[in-house]
Amino acid sequence: MIADLLQNSLDGLAQGSSYALLAVGFTLIFGVLRQVNLSYGPAIMAGCYAATWTHLHFGAGLISLALIAIAGAVLAGAYVERLCFAPHRRAGAGSAVGSPVAAMVASFALWMQFEEAATVLLPKHLYAFPPLYSGAPLTFGPFFLRIEALVTLAAAIAICALLAWILWRTRFGLAVRAVIESQRAAELAGINVPWVFVRVFALASAIGGVAGYLVVATHGQITPMLGMWSTLKGMLAMMLGGLGSLPGAVLGGLVLGMIEVHSQWYLGPQSRDLIAYLLLFVLLALRPAGLWPARTQG
Amino acid sequence: MSAVLLQIENLVTAYGKIEALKGVSLEVAQGKITCLLGPNGAGKTTLMFTTAGILKPKAGSIRLAGEEIAGKAPHAIVERGIALVPENRLVFPHMTVLENLQAGAYQRSNRDEIEGDIEKMFARFPRLKERSAQEGGTLSGGEQQMLSVARALMSRPKLLLMDEPSLGLAPLVIEEIFRIVSELHRDGATIFLVEQNAHMALKLAHHFYLMEQGKVTFSGDRGSLAEDEVIRRAYLGTARS
Repeated sequence: MIADLLQNSLDGLAQGSSYALLAVGFTLIFGVLRQVNLSYGPAIMAGCYAATWTHLHFGAGLISLALIAIAGAVLAGAYVERLCFAPHRRAGAGSAVGSPVAAMVASFALWMQFEEAATVLLPKHLYAFPPLYSGAPLTFGPFFLRIEALVTLAAAIAICALLAWILWRTRFGLAVRAVIESQRAAELAGINVPWVFVRVFALASAIGGVAGYLVVATHGQITPMLGMWSTLKGMLAMMLGGLGSLPGAVLGGLVLGMIEVHSQWYLGPQSRDLIAYLLLFVLLALRPAGLWPARTQG
Repeated sequence: MSAVLLQIENLVTAYGKIEALKGVSLEVAQGKITCLLGPNGAGKTTLMFTTAGILKPKAGSIRLAGEEIAGKAPHAIVERGIALVPENRLVFPHMTVLENLQAGAYQRSNRDEIEGDIEKMFARFPRLKERSAQEGGTLSGGEQQMLSVARALMSRPKLLLMDEPSLGLAPLVIEEIFRIVSELHRDGATIFLVEQNAHMALKLAHHFYLMEQGKVTFSGDRGSLAEDEVIRRAYLGTARS
């Protein structure tokens, strides 16, 4: 019993690590732009599809595929930012455009576009993706630890540490935090806010690209649904943890992973999503700010 | 006769179809304190935001030392030497006092000079030094105002804009703020100040403008209009018949 609990928790943490990364990327964009980017997952999917296509036509090693996935996600993310979010900036008085809802709807349209493009590029519904590791899992005592899970966990820790370093120890990070706290005050301090938006988008897309790559390399397959799936998990984890909170995103991702694995074990695979959404509902009803809320603007 | 540092001509700024500035013209002289008075809704904050680049004007010109800056992005305005201390302070609430100051120096690259300036700010505002590791949002209103001023000064502006620095502050604190404004002027700063507190502002200003309903309705030096007349118009506007 305890062994199962611990094993599941281990698996849950690994699963939750990729959710945490997805949520962190999503939260970065939301925190800085105050807007929901529905093309976040699809841009990640675009990167992973680029990697898949490269593998099918040229064959490529694990590292190269990871880099292509990340680069593809960043490029796709830049495309989304330019097309959906840049034109709808708060352009000040008298601007003809300027609706944040319009930006979100536009990002929905690009989501559809990415899915269509993916299906045109690679028409089959499912493609094999070179797995991270094909050997047996590590065993210690009664526990199994798959190498892919370990890699995912390690990657998540490394990326979160890197992000924390960027945000708290660099001048760029100071600018990002300033924009998150008060875009107007940041403008007045001389920070080039549109420049920050572009770079945060790139950073968030890169993080998402890593998460996406780890997910498809762990499962050994990719479908066009990866886009929707990533956005869903990212948003779910973000809401669990607290909208706009970076530590919340990490916590929400890990909790989501744990919930999924445990409910699947005790209640069967069909229960997995049901329990996750049920818990989100209960949480939002009782503690709407999330598990680790973002601090409100002063 | 002082040189003109800031020259605004026929500035029009609109929110959608509503014109908040209907053709504002005024000048700010180098090395002096110029004050903008007027009732609520006159457009004073709109004018400050347009000058700082937060809002884009529909028409008109803003020249800083002869260079046209109307319509430029806010960071470009800071680059050219204008810093705005906004209404309601707008400190970064979860960043420390020190980080707030560092943010104000964002465009500067000389680390030693920036650290030197931070020390100068702490010397000028000892209370900020005491609280340098505290989050901006935990400071009192008066301290936040000082932080907001210090942050603006960190960009070494040629022109300091201040929008209602006394808003919401206790009388003793207001006196301190105005003392600081006076000190800054003594040290060579050019200040363009929006104030509701006309009584205090008129003590400091070398020149003042009265703004009502999107236009400048009076311009004069200290003493050119009876103070009670100015105050009445600043708070209530001219009588509408």
